[in-house]
This record gives sequence, C-alpha cells and structure tokens, in this order.
Amino acid sequence: MNSSLSTAGLDRRAFFRGSAIAAFAVFGSGSLAACSSAVGEQRSDAVESVEPVRGGTLTLAIPDDVSPAALLTSTTVAGVTISGLVYETLTRYPLDSVVPQPVLAKAWKLSDDGLTLTLDLRDDVTFHSGRRFTSADAEFSLRTYADPKFSAQLRSTAAAITGFDSSNPNTLVLTLAHRTGNIFDLLDLAPIFDPETFDKAVTGESFVGTGPFVFTSRTPNSSISFDRNPDYWVAERPYLDHVEARIVPDAQARLTSLKSGQVSLVAPASLPFRDSQNLAKTSGFATTSIEGAELQIYLGANVTADGLTDVRARKALAYAIDRDRIMSEVYRDTGYAANLPWPKSSPAYDAAKNATYTRDVGKARALVGDLGALPTIPLTYTGASPDFEAAAQIVQANLAEAGIRVELDPVEASIFVKQLIGAEFKGLWLTNHTFAQYVPSTLTVSAYPFNAAHNASKFSSPAYSAAAEGAWQVPDGSSDEAKKLYAELGTQLLNELFLIEIGVVVPQVSAAETVRGLAWTKGRQPQFANTFLA
Amino acid sequence: MIRYIAGRLPSAVVVLFLASILIFSVMRLVPGDPALALAGPDATPEAIAAIRHSLGLDKSIPAQYLTWIGDVLILDLGRSFVLGGQISDLVLAGLGNTAVLAGSALLLAVVLSLVLSVAVVVWPKKWLTSVVNLLNTLSVALPNFVTGVLLVLVFAVLIPVLPSGGVPPGGYLARPDITFQYLLLPSLCLALPVAAALTRFLSEALRTEMAQQYVITARAAGVPRWNLVTRSALRNALPTMLTVLGIQTGHLLGGAVLVEAIFAWPGIGQLIEQGIGRRDYPVVQVLLLLSVTIFVLIQLLTDIVHAYLDPRIRIGGQQ
Repeated sequence: MNSSLSTAGLDRRAFFRGSAIAAFAVFGSGSLAACSSAVGEQRSDAVESVEPVRGGTLTLAIPDDVSPAALLTSTTVAGVTISGLVYETLTRYPLDSVVPQPVLAKAWKLSDDGLTLTLDLRDDVTFHSGRRFTSADAEFSLRTYADPKFSAQLRSTAAAITGFDSSNPNTLVLTLAHRTGNIFDLLDLAPIFDPETFDKAVTGESFVGTGPFVFTSRTPNSSISFDRNPDYWVAERPYLDHVEARIVPDAQARLTSLKSGQVSLVAPASLPFRDSQNLAKTSGFATTSIEGAELQIYLGANVTADGLTDVRARKALAYAIDRDRIMSEVYRDTGYAANLPWPKSSPAYDAAKNATYTRDVGKARALVGDLGALPTIPLTYTGASPDFEAAAQIVQANLAEAGIRVELDPVEASIFVKQLIGAEFKGLWLTNHTFAQYVPSTLTVSAYPFNAAHNASKFSSPAYSAAAEGAWQVPDGSSDEAKKLYAELGTQLLNELFLIEIGVVVPQVSAAETVRGLAWTKGRQPQFANTFLA
Repeated sequence: MIRYIAGRLPSAVVVLFLASILIFSVMRLVPGDPALALAGPDATPEAIAAIRHSLGLDKSIPAQYLTWIGDVLILDLGRSFVLGGQISDLVLAGLGNTAVLAGSALLLAVVLSLVLSVAVVVWPKKWLTSVVNLLNTLSVALPNFVTGVLLVLVFAVLIPVLPSGGVPPGGYLARPDITFQYLLLPSLCLALPVAAALTRFLSEALRTEMAQQYVITARAAGVPRWNLVTRSALRNALPTMLTVLGIQTGHLLGGAVLVEAIFAWPGIGQLIEQGIGRRDYPVVQVLLLLSVTIFVLIQLLTDIVHAYLDPRIRIGGQQ
C-alpha cells in the first residue's frame, strides 16, 4: 500500500496550468497562423497579369525522387524534371510533329546516302560550371547514351553511330552504320552532359548542363532545388528565379498540396484523371492536355500461353474490348480509342486502320465458338494503379460477354517490370507504353513490347521483323516512302495482334491559374524558360 | 540496477542478430529485382547483368549477407541502389525528421492522455466519461490514413490555416512558429490512436487505484479527490502507462509510414516505403534493422524505468 499522500505531485493549479499549455499547443494554431502563416508564405503574392513577369519561385509536386543510376531512362518523374530543367539536347521536336528544331545544334545536314550527319553547333553556350560547350561534349554524351549499363531507351539508335568527328569544336560529324530513320529521336532525347562532372550526376550529387536552370541542391526524398541560369544563351530567359520540386509520393497529398497552395503545379500525369478533370472545373486552377506526349494503353498477349496461341483468340479479344468505355470511364475522355499505337500527330496514324477492331461481341463470340472452350486466362497488371485496376475490370467484364474467362492478377510494380522484361506473363497483361509519339519506327526498335527480336509476347515473325527493320532504315522518318512502310508495319500489328491496343491517352497537367507559359517536350520534360507567375 | 541491466543485454543482442538474418533473407525472398527496377522496362539482358554486377547481386546470398553485416558492424551502411547517396546520410536525414515527428506526436499523446485520464477520474461525470470514451473509440477505430486525409481536408483545404504537408523550408529551428504549424497536423494524426490507448489504460489504472483501501481511508479522512489522484494514484498508475507507452511507441513508428506518406514528410517511413517498392535492398535492410534496434532499445528502456519505479522487479531479476 502506498501511503505517500504528502509526496510531491501535481497540485490543482499546476494541473490547470499544464492543461492550459496543452490546450494552447493543440488548439492555438489558428492564432499562431494568424501571426505568421506557413500557408501564407507558400502562396504566390504576385498580382494577376498576362504579361511575362520576372522573378518568383515555381514550386511543383513530383511523385518520386531521382534514381541517378537510371538518369538516362525515363523511369522517374524527378529524372525527367532534372533532364528538362538542367540539360538540353542537340535538337528538339515540337509537340505537334517530328520535324526537328534547333537547340544546341543550329543546323544539320544528312548526306544523300543517309549515312553521315553533320551538326553545326552553337558557339555561345556554356555549361553551368562556366566551361564552353563543344562538339567533344556532344560526342561524350552520345557515347554515354549508347553505354549498355545506362539502359537508355534509344540505345540501339545510339549504337548505330559508328564514327564521331569532333575535331572542330563547333561541328560534330556522325557516321551511321546504316540508314537510321529515328536519329533525330536520339538527338531529341539524349541530354548533353558535362563530361567533367558526369561522375557526380550518376551518384546524384550534382547535375551540370547547359539548360535554363542550375541545379542547386537535393534533399533525398524531400526536394530538389534549381536557380535561374544567369548565363543562359537565350537572352532574357528564364523568367523564374527559382524552381523547387517537392517530392510528394502520395497522389492524394499531391492534390491537396496543389489545392492548399503549397505547390503551384503537379507534374504531368501525376494526378488521377478524375482529379485533373475536377481541378479543371475548380476556380483558380487549370488543367491542360499535353497533345504530342501521349501514352498508349494496351493489352499484351503471351502468344505461347494456353488459349492465346491461335490468332483467332486474340482477334476475339480485340473485338470484345469496349475501348470507348475504358477511355471514357477510366481516362475521362482525355484520349481516344485506337487499334494501332501511333497517335493522331504521328505520320503513321491511319484512321481507317484504327477502326479495324471496333466492339462487336457477336464476332468475338463466333471466333470463340470456332475455337471451342478456352481456358481461364490470367490478366496481370500493376495493382497499385487505380487506372489499370479499373481498366482490367472492364476488360474482364467485356471478355466474359464474349465467353472468355479472365482471372485478374494484380501485382506490385517491380514484379510487373520483372515479368515484362523476362517475358514471364502467364497470359494477358495490361499496361501502357510510350515512344509512339516519336518517329514511328522508334517504337519497334526501342520500346520493349514491340521489339521484333525479343518481346514480352514471345512473338516472332520474319514479316514483322522485316517491316520493323525496313521502317527504321528509311532516312527521312516522315517521308512518303516511310509512310508506306509504317502502313505495312501497322498491317502486321493488326494481323498478328500480339499487342492489342486500347487507346491513346493524352497526359494531363494541373496547375494554379497564376502559372503561365508552361511547356513540355514529347517526353514530358518541363520547358520552363518562358514560364512565369502571373 | 547495473546487474539488472547487464542481465537484459545479451537477449537484446541475440534478438538483433537473428533479426539481421531474418531481414536479409526476407528481402531476398520477396519477388522482384532491384536491377530490373533500375533498368526499366526497355532494358536488354546485358544491361541488367551489368547493373546486377555493379550492385554486387551476382554473388551468392551468404556472401552478400556476410559483406553486408560486416560493413554494418563497422558502421559502413553502403550506398542506396536507387537514390544514389550514402545510406548513412539518407538514414540520418530521415531519422531526424521521423524523430521530430514521432517525438512531438508522443509528447502530444502523453499530454492529451494525462489531461483526459485525470479529468475523468477527478470529475467522474457521466457526460465527460461518455465524451472521452467516444473520442477514444473514434481515435482507435479511424485509421491514420482516414484521420490524416480528414485533417488535411479541413485545416489545409477547406479552412486553409495549416500546411497540407512537407517540412519547414528553413529547417526546424529557424522559425519555431512555422515549424509548429508544419508539425501540428501530422503529429496530431499520429498521436490520436496512441493517446486513445494511453487514456484507456491510464484512466482504468487510476480508477483501480482509487478503489484501493488506502484511498478509501484517505477519502474518509477528508483528503480531497484531486490531491489523491495527482499525488498518489497517478504515481502508482504510471508504471502501467509506461508499459503501454513502450508498446505504443512501436506502433507509432509503424504508423509513421502512412502518416509520412499522407503529409509528404521525408522521414524513415517514406524511405522504407519507397525502398521496398523499388527493391532498394541496402536501404530497406538498414532501416528495418534500425527499426528493430529502436524497438529493442525502447523495450529495454521501458524495463529499466519499470525496474526503477518498482523495486520488486529489479530485486526479482537479481534473484
């Protein structure tokens, strides 16, 4: 028994005092906020204006941090953001075409045989370190891009460059192993690195380029900061003084960050389509579509799996899928149904071919009837993606109407990639791909699902390989000759159906209305030289 | 007391050693491959092999374990496969942020539970007990991700008086008033279930204490209820609260994973979540081992404080 009634303890006054302090700590935020508000400090105090305004900090939310070892792949939004702000490329496509425009290369000439490309480089460009940019830097960057350890998507195109002549600091001459129709895709995508600091870029310590913004600091998993490049070669640009990318992994948190004014912009395709659509209707915010930077959603088929070996089964799938419903319900009409991967802006787009497989449950049932009973087919997708989840459920329901039983198999993202690269899918899979917005042949030589030599569908065909190779080796990727070859490639894809396209999705980007002059590349890299806060 | 502590240490070391083997094995058993996650979907087998070699993943599993645990023992935690930096730097930064969040949540939980528990025992009004019980039930029943989203919706979007997430831009010490605002929502979200559990146990312990013979005698002698609660019953009930606090601290660290995601708080929880998703073996292994170490230390500390408060425990331990 404790009899220490007189031991020191709380008295009534002390208790009330402690309670009052606790209550203040819990409920006093309002008064503190009134004095010095963290919310107020995060919001732009700029006045409404349509004329470009100098200065200010643009804060954007991105879903992940950079993987420095994978800087040359587009696997992280942070990597894409750094690539767009800090680095530049030799040429750049506008969003609406695949006609290259000058950036660090002022002019170029492709030889008549298509085997030599001479690039005339700018002589007024310096790296953020202060060193002058020369053709040797461009050579280093293209050689780095071809290095297998960086696993860059257009490595096969970079590897087709067999000779470099950088003896003139303002001219780079590339010798190609064969005619390469997508060489300007490579020049659009390959960032120009500073060789002297590249080691620090692959460890994530520092990123030095020639772009409009200078990398200043990175707090892993928290934020990446950039300052205006005062020596940028484009006069009077950029307008912004600072850009801060905040890493906000949760989609709901990104939305609330934007709504509460903590960030002014959310990176493209980083909000659910429904939220982007709602923000478009909300006062003070705007949502825009990045036409020309499309993604494609598709259903892949392992052509060696039970129930999918016969092309009639795959045709039944193509007829059964309600593409319009998926585009409407899942992607909120931010794109359009398609049978072929190439978007409307592509030279390979063919409206007639894209109507080959429209929803026809009767035809699908007839094809299934011809084949007899089909086994239950697994459908694998990334379970963490609500869009893929919803699309997979619609596909399952559609196929059930045609008499095809599908078992949903949601998996983690890293397991999905493992199965995709290892060609380990047991039946169907649902995901998206990119690169169809570039020169059409890039898709079949660089995007893994379409690769003629080795793909996740375990599909091979001499005719498809020949069509892919032929399209790749046309010197001018947008010429009439090239278009004929793309048509042949499209025919092969529609006949074999190892990949069943569902639709083209246009990425959405949501921002506060005060952010003006936003621009993006085909690879969704930010181009903020002309961006300002109104 | 020293003998009591020395007696507890060997079991803690054994737990940590077994945990290191378990953590390493589990990470290797989880499907997925960091080299593939890094290489991306368009990688060639040669590129994947080159990445696997550069990460040391082409060695045997026992060789990988021995290399890792050997390095950890000399405090060389290695480099992150994914984020690129030294893991020690990443962990220190994350740990600092989590410690601030968890510490403030713990403080808030203790203050709230003390206030509410003492209040319901000193003033045993039915309405007050009902309100506290309701708050307790809601705090326990609503998961962190619901409470967090609700708090953000109300205080950052509908009535925008507090930041929706992130850490104070200039650091914690530069502007205490700003730091307080950044901390309030995430720490409240994290503190609520802990405060509820503490309140439940502490108020029950206080009620039990108030039914003891010495209290009845004191009450009969005219000692005020307030004095009895705060000067005697509370002290006797504290060991119970400490035990619960030790366990709840572990839960609190677990809950930090979700809360950090909701509030974009760059702490250990976020580091673990991203590390697991992208198969960043070295980071996840170190963080899980660190979590086990912290948990073991907290349990050890709880036992020591318990023994300090209740001499029967340390005497029993010595015997």
